[in-house]
Amino acid sequence: MSALGGPKQTGGVQSPTAIGIVLSIVLIVVALGLAYFLVQMAGVLALVGIIIGGVLVAFGVHFVPVGGAPAAMGQSPGIATGVAMLAAGAGLAGLFGGAWAAPLGLPVALAGGAVGGGLLMAITCTMVNVIYVFGMGIPAASGKVDKDPITGDTFPEYKSQGTEGHGLPFISWVGGVIGGALGGLGGTLIYLELLDIYQAQLPVLLNATVEQIAPVAISLAGIFAVAMFLINAVLAAYNITGTIEGPHDPKFKRFPRAVVAAAVASAVAGIFAIGLLQLVGVF
Amino acid sequence: MSVKIEVGAGGIPHNRILIYGLVGSLVLIYLTYLNTYFQTEYFAFFGGLAAVAALIWGTDTIKHLCSYGLGTGVPSAGMIALGSGVIAALFGATTGIFAPIVTIVIAAIIGAVAGIMANHVVRMDIPVMIVSLIELAIVGAMTVLGLAAMACGTFEFLGMITGTVSFLGFTVQTYETSVIGGSIIAVIFMLGAIAIQHSFNACLGPGEQQDRTLMLAAECGFLSMIPVAIISFAFIGTYAALVALVISIVGWFYTYRKYIVLSKRDAYAWLDAKPILEPKGGA
Repeated sequence: MSALGGPKQTGGVQSPTAIGIVLSIVLIVVALGLAYFLVQMAGVLALVGIIIGGVLVAFGVHFVPVGGAPAAMGQSPGIATGVAMLAAGAGLAGLFGGAWAAPLGLPVALAGGAVGGGLLMAITCTMVNVIYVFGMGIPAASGKVDKDPITGDTFPEYKSQGTEGHGLPFISWVGGVIGGALGGLGGTLIYLELLDIYQAQLPVLLNATVEQIAPVAISLAGIFAVAMFLINAVLAAYNITGTIEGPHDPKFKRFPRAVVAAAVASAVAGIFAIGLLQLVGVF
Repeated sequence: MSVKIEVGAGGIPHNRILIYGLVGSLVLIYLTYLNTYFQTEYFAFFGGLAAVAALIWGTDTIKHLCSYGLGTGVPSAGMIALGSGVIAALFGATTGIFAPIVTIVIAAIIGAVAGIMANHVVRMDIPVMIVSLIELAIVGAMTVLGLAAMACGTFEFLGMITGTVSFLGFTVQTYETSVIGGSIIAVIFMLGAIAIQHSFNACLGPGEQQDRTLMLAAECGFLSMIPVAIISFAFIGTYAALVALVISIVGWFYTYRKYIVLSKRDAYAWLDAKPILEPKGGA
């Protein structure tokens, strides 16, 4: 975590360029058209599910209090690691929770994913504060706002000079749990959509029963869910550039850009995942 | 709070490394096709060497990209590389003998979309962003494809999802004991991700030297080859896996020794730890 201090650290929110917007719309439409061409309506619905999942991941990342290297030295609030690492942790925990509950139906599996991701972030945030308060002896104080929007605690008295705040205020804790839950929900949604596609196509292709191909279908859906999760999380991280305290941070307002980027990236990656089995045996 | 990323000047130009890496990994991965041609499994290790060639190239790309200061840490670049790469690698693998070439094309598409999103929607506005993400996606894809080919002896999808298991003297075909069915692909994913993100993250700073960073990249690649060689005992013949393991260990040992020599060359001073000698006649 040493690459803090990006070029757009202090700049205001720059809106996407015209090329970017046009390309985004074109790419999403093309992806949806290809999905219809390859797997008909089921493909379109799956791709929409994947796009929603990717957007939830990118949106959720903005809630997570990321402190980076300065947080490790107690000089900025948040968890002392990068966005990609935290998002991967929350997403994978959510994915495990959701995948485990997959046979119980979509709502239960999605809830399982959300609880898994949220639980991981809750434990992480709590232990981070335990280490900050009892190990490093520093109180929780935000540098971006004067009062905690939920508890009403004031921060300026506790903030050390020369720092951007430190520790993990309650609002950041809440943000972390919301972010983890959204990430787990999105990751699980991608996984379930892909699992449905593969469980429908693989038995026909390989002339086998659903039980026989289950390991392959689950493994493929899982690895693609992880891959799309990481692409979206990193795009969201590029949007944040560095550290963010949670939903009260001014940088949180940048999220629409990440939502657009994640939707397009998920659509393009998703179309390759959906069309994966179309070329098997052709060559 | 920002940490300046310092990279050393000089060394081999990036474009030359790009060509060596691209052509080298492509040729080496095609050498694993000799397995299919000669009906043997002894050439599986070329997949791992292809991954090493790609990783060296990828490390130099990350060095170029991260010298702009992404604000999200070096590992995020490795994560998006492998995230895009694994989708491209598995999609490409379904095209039989064209797998490596299709993989490169698909990875370039996914990387270009991610790069355009990062520059034009998220507004990173980094000049080398699009090219770098294309390169990184190809590197990630070649790493996954190479290591997967090393584990099961082929880069074709059907070979990756089918395996055999001996039961009471009968050999039964099954989807569980395969690289994808056994989720070995997830292990390969993380082995590649760690290998690609570590080298520059460890070597950046004042006095960074290209040869030292790239030697560490090769060392990480061989280190990732060792677990894959051990995994390959489950899928390919014992002697073929043994050949791969010996090559991995010899390669790792050689690059590790070279890396230590280069580290000592660049260090101001070092202390070779020696055991404390017992004084004669007892203390």
